[in-house]
Amino acid sequence: MIDFTFTEEQEMFRKAAREFAETKLAPEVPGMEKTGEVSDVVVKAMAEAELMAITIPEEYGGLGLGYTERMIAVEEVSRVSVAAAMMLQVFALGIEPIVKFGSEDQKKKYLPGLANGERLSTTAVTEATGGSDPTGIRSSYRKDGDDFILNGRKCFITNSHIADTITVLAKDEDNPKAFCAFVLDKEIEGWKATHIEHKVGMRGCNTGELAFENCRIPASQLVGEEGKGLRVTMAAIGDVGRGGMVGVALGLQAACLEESIKFANQRILYGKPIVALQTIQNKLADMKIDLEAGLLLGYRAAAMQDKGQRSSNEFAVAKYYTTEACQRAAKMAVDIHGGYGCMEEYAVSRYLRDSYVVGPSAGTSDIMKVIIGRWALS
Amino acid sequence: MAEQKKSVGSVWVIAEQIDCRLLSVSTQLLGKARKLADELHTSLETILLGDNIDRQTQQLIAAGAERVYLGNTPEFAFYHPEIYTETIVSLAREHKPEIILMGSTSAGRELAPLVAARLETGLTAHCIDLVLDEDRNLEQRIPAYGGLLSIICPERRPQMATIAKGVFSAPEPDETRTGEIIALGAPDIASQRIQTLEIIREEPEGVPLESADIVVAGGAGAGDREGWSKISELANTLNAALGSTRPAVDEGWTELTTMIGQSGKMVSPQLYIGVGLSGEQQHLVGVVDAKVMVAINNDDKSPVFEQVDFGIVEDCREFVPVLIEKIKAYQERLTVC
Amino acid sequence: MLNIVVCVKGVPDPKQACNIKIDPDTKTLLRCDVPMVVNPLDKNAMEVALQLKAKTDARITVLSMGPPEAGNIVKECLALGGDQGILLSDPAFGGADTFATAYTLAKGIQKIGPYDVILCGMASSDGSTEWVGPQIATFLKIPVVTMVKEVVETDPSTWKVKANIDNGYRLMQVKLPALFTVTREVNTPKNLSFSGIIKARKKEIEQWGIDDLGVSQGSVGLKGSPTIVSQLNTKVSNRNVEFIKGTREEKAESLVQKLIGTGLL
Repeated sequence: MIDFTFTEEQEMFRKAAREFAETKLAPEVPGMEKTGEVSDVVVKAMAEAELMAITIPEEYGGLGLGYTERMIAVEEVSRVSVAAAMMLQVFALGIEPIVKFGSEDQKKKYLPGLANGERLSTTAVTEATGGSDPTGIRSSYRKDGDDFILNGRKCFITNSHIADTITVLAKDEDNPKAFCAFVLDKEIEGWKATHIEHKVGMRGCNTGELAFENCRIPASQLVGEEGKGLRVTMAAIGDVGRGGMVGVALGLQAACLEESIKFANQRILYGKPIVALQTIQNKLADMKIDLEAGLLLGYRAAAMQDKGQRSSNEFAVAKYYTTEACQRAAKMAVDIHGGYGCMEEYAVSRYLRDSYVVGPSAGTSDIMKVIIGRWALS
Repeated sequence: MAEQKKSVGSVWVIAEQIDCRLLSVSTQLLGKARKLADELHTSLETILLGDNIDRQTQQLIAAGAERVYLGNTPEFAFYHPEIYTETIVSLAREHKPEIILMGSTSAGRELAPLVAARLETGLTAHCIDLVLDEDRNLEQRIPAYGGLLSIICPERRPQMATIAKGVFSAPEPDETRTGEIIALGAPDIASQRIQTLEIIREEPEGVPLESADIVVAGGAGAGDREGWSKISELANTLNAALGSTRPAVDEGWTELTTMIGQSGKMVSPQLYIGVGLSGEQQHLVGVVDAKVMVAINNDDKSPVFEQVDFGIVEDCREFVPVLIEKIKAYQERLTVC
Repeated sequence: MLNIVVCVKGVPDPKQACNIKIDPDTKTLLRCDVPMVVNPLDKNAMEVALQLKAKTDARITVLSMGPPEAGNIVKECLALGGDQGILLSDPAFGGADTFATAYTLAKGIQKIGPYDVILCGMASSDGSTEWVGPQIATFLKIPVVTMVKEVVETDPSTWKVKANIDNGYRLMQVKLPALFTVTREVNTPKNLSFSGIIKARKKEIEQWGIDDLGVSQGSVGLKGSPTIVSQLNTKVSNRNVEFIKGTREEKAESLVQKLIGTGLL
């Protein structure tokens, strides 16, 4: 028999994450919305709340917890701010290649700082010529002695301008089938963050471009085997990236439902709160169904990941379902709010904009379907 | 004096003085206690501890006390838990009262449980009414989720209760009354483990709730600090005292001192306006009496509408600003004429 | 080493207070789906202990009386930083009024061993009598100060605290061992932390029943309670509400007119 309950400890982790989100994060959200900029206060508070340390092993200063706990944390943060949750989930995305494929030296050098927030990370794969199709990237390296020289540009990279520890994917100049993953830090010259994107949603989460110009990378920075870099980054994006988006989407779904219930209980039409109307109850039921289903799909995949099982397909399903669901939920929430749903002072208008950025992150819904179709046919 | 055959012990009120002024709750309790004593065919006695408080004894007698146990020496000047508890406990063990009543003042709320625990008897906090039941037990009534609970202490004596200022009204003083005064010596407490180093008084701001003619009370329906500030503005516009419910205090929108209710303040205004609150008993029992009561709440099924004269079904966050406008317009018309 | 005992209570989440009802038959709280949380003021009491522990060698024992589910409350306090937890739980403890509750907790404290300071929240959000702290102190024969809003000095044998009084405060000097009840002003409790939860895995919670405390059936629970609930009445109001109707503007105008009519405006 399958046990679908969280452990007592996991419920406590959820409480801790919720307390952080409600007391430390919520006050910063209006400022983030207004400026669109990352809040240093939030980054610092997240580090203090140990949220970046969740998936880092204890011996490197982390909490040594699993992907379920990570999803719980991202979910609770997202319920208050999708932007902050996205930033947090991508920190883990940057941490994963080092944890899974990094050398002992790399782990000792980077993981402690990543755990306590002194270092901030991201993984840079996407380019104008390939995001969902990483083999289409043009950033390339050539060997020069023991060093690698990297040239290229990355776009739509979350945390581009705040990360100081990034995992980059590049292909061999001469061999389009060989890829390398490198971890770059600020001591290495030749890379910088350039253009900042101004997104319609997820404001307060930094997205931008990275440029590499004759960037000389010592061999010590190679993550995983030379030529096998695709494996390194795809493992990260496949499970951790998708898993992170599931957490983000679930939190947003929950927020949409809660705000809708609150509003429906307060708004009086025809002498009663509108929650008494069946048409409103139908929408709430739809949101509830999507949320229950999304939770099961997401935590099932996370549980498999925690057991060490292959879970990319299950995550593809969960990612597809929850990100689509959060877009539906946001639209329904806005509809329930009527005219108020278009007003900036009502959170649901922000949820709608956020939901549209959640969709294409870590792979579009169409790409998820390609993956899932392949799975069905296998 | 003819020997009085008492079938039950006396009714006691522990009176309280601060800076030699008798607190109004003491005479209010004496008024109620007088009625209880009469019903029980027993005497009403009171204890007052302080220093230089000779004049206050007459007030207590005029309010109905037949006997005053008076501690009137420097040791009793300020409330001290060990000295006061020891004094009252010794007296109670000697005289075995039937009932002891105390005001829910800050001192009373500490002293009452100390005395009750020493006497190994029951105690009820923040009662809003006291009656004798058919077994002549003291029924101590408190509001609780959705109703009024009656608590009794059937086996042990004395039966103890604390009551807030404003629940009962003070009796007309009868200066012709006489009573007995029994002087008390300070107890010999071997070593004092508690010392009061300093007492600092701070006068509260704004219109005091207990004496206000108009009270505007806000609750959870304010939604957030911004919503609360509108309710506060409504109070200012009406030159009213601002009151609150527990949820509003818990949210941090206002201080505990504005809370009206069972464990807060008791009010008897001419006009009470409840804004964005659901009319929980714990709050509304704090409105002991009001000439006119109004409620603004967005749910027409809210229990608050069963307890008021005028009801407005509106989201208070939207309605209050409009109401403020209308009131200001009226006030301007007044000044123009 | 400073031995601190913090008494905590599990209460229905006060943020969902509107969902809590009384069972008309048993006249006790119907907890239903309202989750149990640590009584908010007890978190302030925990935080006093934790701040002390950060400065000096101290051991914090978390003590609670409640049903077996209250173990989660104790666990949460261990995750906040308590060292060991004791849950007093036994069907015989059920139905206790504040006297019996204080007696049981005092017996628990005596069993724990030597203590220097006992900390409690001033009141619980569901009972709100404010009695349990002072009564525990009486049973233990130690001094007590209620409504502490600031801990000013903490010498090993004497504490100085500021305690609220109506319209002001008093500065008290107290010889330890002593009991203090605290208000929300005393500090801002820290949030639960992930590493605290992990550390709590190794911490022990013991559950003690009536036999462990060596007390008689008649001294605890409902049997040991001097007070009982005799009846539950619904409050009858003699006001009949008149709903003011119209558009928002019209309602506001009508209300103002009505109030002018009563002579109160």
